Amino acid sequence: MFRDINATPRRRGRDHCRTKFSAETPDMTSPYGIKLSVHLISTYFGDIVSKVCECLLRKGTLSHAQIMHSTELSKQNVTNSLLVLIQHNCVQSFAIQQPGGFGEPPKIVTKYMALHDNIIHHMRFPKFLSIVSNEFGQDCTEIFEGLLQHGRLSMNQIMDRHKDKHKALVTDGENSKVTSTLHENFNKLAQARYIERCPAHEPFLEPVEEGAKKRMAKSKIGDFSQTLEARALAAAAPMESIRFLVETDAWSNGALDDDSKNSPSTKIPGEKRKHDSLEPETESWATNKNKEILWRVNFEEFVRRLRHKSCVSHVTTRMDSVAGIVLTAIFEASRKDETKVKMEKTVPLLLETIFEEAMKSEEGRSLTLGRVRGSLVQMGCELPTIGIDEIYSIDLKTIIDKAQTLEVESVVLKKYGREAYRIFRLLSESERSFETDKISATTFVEKKDALKILFQLWKDDFLHMERIEAQKTEIMLWKLNKRSVWEQVLDDMYHAALNLKLRLVHELEQAKDILRVLKGKSLGDEVLEKRRRVGDKWKVLEASLMILDDAIMLFHHF
Amino acid sequence: MSLLNKRKKPEPKAVLVESDRKVLEVIKSKKEMAIWSRDLKMETNLSDVVISKSLKNLLNSSLIKEVVHAQQKGRKHYIAAEFEPSKEVTGGSWYVNGDLDTAFIDQLKDLCLKIIRKLKVVTADGVYDFFKTNRLTNTDCTSQQISEILRSMVLDNMIIDVKSTGLGEYHSIPIGKLCYRCPPGDVNQGPKKGALVSIPCGVCPRIRECTPDGLISPTTCVYYNKWLDF
Repeated sequence: MFRDINATPRRRGRDHCRTKFSAETPDMTSPYGIKLSVHLISTYFGDIVSKVCECLLRKGTLSHAQIMHSTELSKQNVTNSLLVLIQHNCVQSFAIQQPGGFGEPPKIVTKYMALHDNIIHHMRFPKFLSIVSNEFGQDCTEIFEGLLQHGRLSMNQIMDRHKDKHKALVTDGENSKVTSTLHENFNKLAQARYIERCPAHEPFLEPVEEGAKKRMAKSKIGDFSQTLEARALAAAAPMESIRFLVETDAWSNGALDDDSKNSPSTKIPGEKRKHDSLEPETESWATNKNKEILWRVNFEEFVRRLRHKSCVSHVTTRMDSVAGIVLTAIFEASRKDETKVKMEKTVPLLLETIFEEAMKSEEGRSLTLGRVRGSLVQMGCELPTIGIDEIYSIDLKTIIDKAQTLEVESVVLKKYGREAYRIFRLLSESERSFETDKISATTFVEKKDALKILFQLWKDDFLHMERIEAQKTEIMLWKLNKRSVWEQVLDDMYHAALNLKLRLVHELEQAKDILRVLKGKSLGDEVLEKRRRVGDKWKVLEASLMILDDAIMLFHHF
Repeated sequence: MSLLNKRKKPEPKAVLVESDRKVLEVIKSKKEMAIWSRDLKMETNLSDVVISKSLKNLLNSSLIKEVVHAQQKGRKHYIAAEFEPSKEVTGGSWYVNGDLDTAFIDQLKDLCLKIIRKLKVVTADGVYDFFKTNRLTNTDCTSQQISEILRSMVLDNMIIDVKSTGLGEYHSIPIGKLCYRCPPGDVNQGPKKGALVSIPCGVCPRIRECTPDGLISPTTCVYYNKWLDF
């Protein structure tokens, strides 16, 4: 006889809310993920833009009219906000054909979707900047910084920006030299895939056939690849062959993006199109597009880099520094061959290739082939039994899963204590259910205490409990609610990040008061001490935010 | 059989009445599983007073004994004198008088850790052999007990379990065999502190009530004030 405890009214209510929320949002963003995004947009671009952004994040993809209706903002305000959001890669627009009513012909409508991940990436700009700075130095960083600040820029705009900044230093004679250096640096960034051509502004999505539509409605959530939003993103993305292509003659205004113009993703059936309320800005965009190629930061590459970094750091801590060196070598050797960010396994490589790559680094020079092989086996690779070529591929998913589990375990340890930590680790090791007595015996926790802990963890949604009545006795089975726990932890992380941001703003305001009072007065020891304290607070908050963001990326992007 | 041995045998002093015999019969029928006094009442259909009297009588005659049930400490359990309580009743080898023998467990954990630190990489059998050869404890412990201790230490993250690769320091252990080693870094530091628990929100008991403009908010948070009190 089974009785599912999760079916209590309390649980049903909470789950219902969660499901309802998920259905409304395009990419199942967590509630505090949205709140953090809105806060970031509000800080960077003001309240009106953040209102439009929040509307899109909460309600999903909308047309201009629908946004106006929901936000009660004026047409101009909505248009301007959308332009800002598109410029900063936070919104993607696309056109779809909608059936007209009462015998009217179908009409083309422009829809707007918020890109939650790209919004949150704004918080990570210092990290991205530091990667570029470490790899390419100051000159490249300047170009990159411009793209971060302005969202999208053409090469000419980058050039103008550079000239403005170094006006005093550049003479006419040196101008061509500066241009070529800038071009060279720009090329470096594109080659490293740190920057990319912007996606098509407003791709047209072909109407889906009736049968396919029904299939899509059925699969709705859980199959994101089939959603309208996913189709729009795929249609907008530039072709791989031109995504990082820097044209040598593109420094003049006449450089026309022939490839992208002719690419199917950017084709808009203009003659058939009925312009909607956003006609003015779409036209200006189209004109602009014909003039120059716009570039932006390729967030995907940075997420990939940070994922690599996280994996290396994890194996170094869990195993040893050699494992870290070997994994770094694998990532370096397969840099161009990775097709997507969330690669489950590294690109298969020959042992010799890994060894050669490891030898390029200073720390890897002392390694032997045997040591590298040992490290690969330690990271879960199996020794090939027969064969001339030794090919290895590391299971990255296991590394990421382990790192995520460690993060959750540390929460359990701090919140519920050592015994709960042991119980949680036992339950997280396998996906099966455990009986109370078995848990108590394996973890050396008295049954009474074990039950107390298990009930507490169950109450906080960590566990799933099932009662089985057999031969007059009742057995309780416990299982980890992995998916829901992981979602909750990620939401808590967004919540904590928002709180850190809000506290930073609060501390800044407090410091302003202090500074205002002190203006014009000589700085005594007491004042200096106060300033030092404020500085320390900022440092702690900023550093904590960056560390917390690493964990957010671990749970959301990796 | 000698006279001395004969004298040692418990002789019932009191004469058993009908109710005593009935109670004793039920207790004996449970063998090493023992019986709870309430269940005894159900099975004998006797009144509380009669059962109490019978139990007293039987205890005085040393025909039965009282045992502590590890999982139901508050409930009085009785077992016939000729039986030893089962593992289910005592709680197993780790229990003494119904209580978890934490002192013994901790002592074994400590010794296991020292052995693993000394031998670097070792299997459960290796640890057990070390125990046997060096007679590290006063009481005997089985190989099963050592395995259980090692398992709990893995759950505690004091040690880690790895499968032997047969290479390097694993050369003496067959490939694929489960062995134990210390985790890298300082063992005394404990598990790595996560990002979320490094800030007050990570373990805040009121996080669900915390909102930007609410009564509990990051700007008025007492935990934050304490954390940032330099």
